[in-house]
Amino acid sequence: MRWWVAVAWIEDLFKEGEKRVEELEVYCFSGTSVSADLKQRHVSLCSSSVESGLCIRTIDKGKIGSSSTNDPDQWQTCLNAAIAGGKLATPQEWRGLPDPVTLPSTNLTYDPLIVVEPATAQALLDGMLEGATAYPDAMVTSGGAAISVGEITFANSHGARYTSRHSDVSISLEAISGQSTGYEFDNACVHGRVNPYQVGEQAAFFASRSAGGRDVPSGEYDVILSPMAYADLLSGIFVPALNGRNVLQGRSKLAGKIGESVTSPLVSMFDDPHMKDVSGSTWFDAEGTPTRRLDFVKDGILNGFAYDLKTAYKAGKQSTGSAVRGGFAGLPAIGHHNFVVDGKREDVLDEPAIYIHSVVGAHTANPLSGDFSVEMSNPFWVKDGALAEPVRGAMLTGNFFDLQYQVTALGKESRAVGSFIVPPVKFNKVRVIGK
Amino acid sequence: MTEPPGIRYYDLRQVNGQSTHIDIDKGVIESAGTVFFNKAVIRVLGPKGWGVLQLDNYHHEPGRKFDELLGSALKLATVADDTVNLGEGPRNLRHVPPVKEDCRDVDIEEKAVLLLAIEKAADLPLVTSRRANYLERIENVRFIDSSGSEYLYEICRSGFSVMAVASRNGTVQMGYEPDHTIRGFNLRHREEMGIKAAQTAIALLDAHAAKGGKMHAILDPELAGVFAHEAVGHASEGDLIEEGNSVLKGRIGEKIGDARLTIVDDPSLHEFGFEPVDAEGISADRTEIISAGKVNAFLHNRQTLAAVGNGLAGHARAMPGEPPLVRMSNTFIETGDATDEEIFSECKEGIYLVGSRGGQVDPGRGVFQFNAEYGYLIEHGERTQMVRDVSLSGEILTTLHGISLCGKKRVMHSGYCGKGGQSVPVSDGAPLMFLCDAVVGGSGVD
Repeated sequence: MRWWVAVAWIEDLFKEGEKRVEELEVYCFSGTSVSADLKQRHVSLCSSSVESGLCIRTIDKGKIGSSSTNDPDQWQTCLNAAIAGGKLATPQEWRGLPDPVTLPSTNLTYDPLIVVEPATAQALLDGMLEGATAYPDAMVTSGGAAISVGEITFANSHGARYTSRHSDVSISLEAISGQSTGYEFDNACVHGRVNPYQVGEQAAFFASRSAGGRDVPSGEYDVILSPMAYADLLSGIFVPALNGRNVLQGRSKLAGKIGESVTSPLVSMFDDPHMKDVSGSTWFDAEGTPTRRLDFVKDGILNGFAYDLKTAYKAGKQSTGSAVRGGFAGLPAIGHHNFVVDGKREDVLDEPAIYIHSVVGAHTANPLSGDFSVEMSNPFWVKDGALAEPVRGAMLTGNFFDLQYQVTALGKESRAVGSFIVPPVKFNKVRVIGK
Repeated sequence: MTEPPGIRYYDLRQVNGQSTHIDIDKGVIESAGTVFFNKAVIRVLGPKGWGVLQLDNYHHEPGRKFDELLGSALKLATVADDTVNLGEGPRNLRHVPPVKEDCRDVDIEEKAVLLLAIEKAADLPLVTSRRANYLERIENVRFIDSSGSEYLYEICRSGFSVMAVASRNGTVQMGYEPDHTIRGFNLRHREEMGIKAAQTAIALLDAHAAKGGKMHAILDPELAGVFAHEAVGHASEGDLIEEGNSVLKGRIGEKIGDARLTIVDDPSLHEFGFEPVDAEGISADRTEIISAGKVNAFLHNRQTLAAVGNGLAGHARAMPGEPPLVRMSNTFIETGDATDEEIFSECKEGIYLVGSRGGQVDPGRGVFQFNAEYGYLIEHGERTQMVRDVSLSGEILTTLHGISLCGKKRVMHSGYCGKGGQSVPVSDGAPLMFLCDAVVGGSGVD
């Protein structure tokens, strides 16, 4: 089968494990990466890494155990630890690991043209430094470029055997002008898709142009959240409420609201795991369930939640293929692959508003109630379709669930911010606290 | 050793160990398991900067094999075009403080039973959801460098957290109590933590959203500790100073706060941020960042000490397998001489902020933000109505002048701090603290 590269110890693991537990799975990762860091305009450090690891999960009479290690030679110790952990677990409603299916052979997230070499990193840094010269008063303070490739191997005792390859290029730059800072980044899994010059130019632009901002009086304003600011608040507040486990356990404000309006009708939200050349894409999730598009919100109406196997079995649902892992050592947990916000696109800079490039402190919001108050970074008054005068720092506050009904437009250009693909979003009447 | 020519310095930091977790959700042991790890970092300083190898499953063999690795790291270092010199610091391996009860002497079944009891204690009326986690991490650290230093030590960090969610008529609120320590097993007789998490969640159901604006604030020791960490600690980190990304750059000796204010970082304290020796083999102790209101010293690693000066090396920290960064350890505001009554009566009208949901800082801009778990209005010097979702933001160079009273008793709280993609254990602390003219955020309206 073309998706399977035989690894001798994995077959030994199943032979041994199946004598002791009803079901088991193993998730292996191996990869290499190179990165280089800037200190001002100089490369101060170049690093190369070789990573490996595996995570074994065992299920016996509804009891789930797990263990992970860096060292494939230690799989037996790891298996013993997983079984020991499983004995302690409370038995849960369990209807089995997924059976094997034939997955499409298209590679979604790997580009052989991505070369893990210091020279690749150096060229990316040079590009950002060149871009930053567009605003000579902005000084580069730090930055970095990282290139990595890796391979995931997944196998379970039902005979599922999948592998997938991933490549990644990430760059970022920070700049300062006086006491005004600017940050920009880019990331892609395909060669030539990141734009180092633009990252450098934008970081320098925000540092340079945000200087000398004027105070804004407290009050209600039309506000445009950049993709970065919007994704930051979305991931900390709204997305956890779409997690089936939080819904089941009474920790989601969206529980019981399927079919109801939860955002402005302009907004749709979905997970699309099959987008070609997008970093989060995959044909199988972290526990071997085939992935599929999952619609969370359709034209403002709540449509569904995300489930992994365990939560789906407990809630009497089907897994939505939404299991993800935070690194090889992480257990599968409910997440998403590519979280997309979409809808009718408009010009969001056509009327006066405050544009907010990023926010400080989104992770301190209350994910249950949705209440937040964050400090704005690089806010600008919008005039005549462009960012005009900078605004001095102020706080942005409100309830992020309530705010969803105040969306008045989605901007034309979406961008990837981590696992989010989102446009700038305009809201009306958002509370701002001036200084 | 015959390391390749061109190497000015090298070090190896290897961390072997295991971590064990237990996760309980509404009385159900959802998962329990163990992670085994073995990660190493080899750093080589070439003529113009660092070459670094990050290796999984490293087995140290001095001799030809190790020299080859040094050669590979040196090759990476040729990409660098920086000026790097290394300062010095004291070298002695501090003893890891003794523990009252070793986590390894308690079997995992007993740990689960004790954690279940803490989680069950949160089951009060109106509580609809509960969770508890236990995490124990044993690290065996080996550090060697080209000067011949070699340190070996073992440290165990363990702890738990319990969360309760209360709901009524569509209002949902949360209480959260963590306790992490280097002082040994801490799960026995801790049901009060579950009860406290539940009581906070229930009380918050009746709290109103705070109204934002400029007002006087009293910060409890936990939140004032976060203030020290976010508003001052990060901006004093030598790497940010060297890069020009901190408003504290060039301000040694400048008065930026009240004369009663002293802020310290001390990795030798036996708190959660304790390190026997830092990630470069240096053992710094107390560094007074702010001394009687004046900028006194920065936190440094060996490189930033040489480049910037004013401070001590010994503040380099790293996650296993990651290159070290300049970090805080145990950061705190020194006690003052005010009684609690004096602080409340001085405040008269304002807000009392309690607990922390974390914070963030932009050190270059000098702006910080952090969030309290909850608060109370202060009216006529008395604590009155409870409020929820209160945050505080400010500018480093002006806000510290507003700290005019500090209480007599300091309390430390444990947690984790993120920087450059690495999370390390830290503790923060302070006495009760009065802050004039704070910028308070909240979603409440008149």
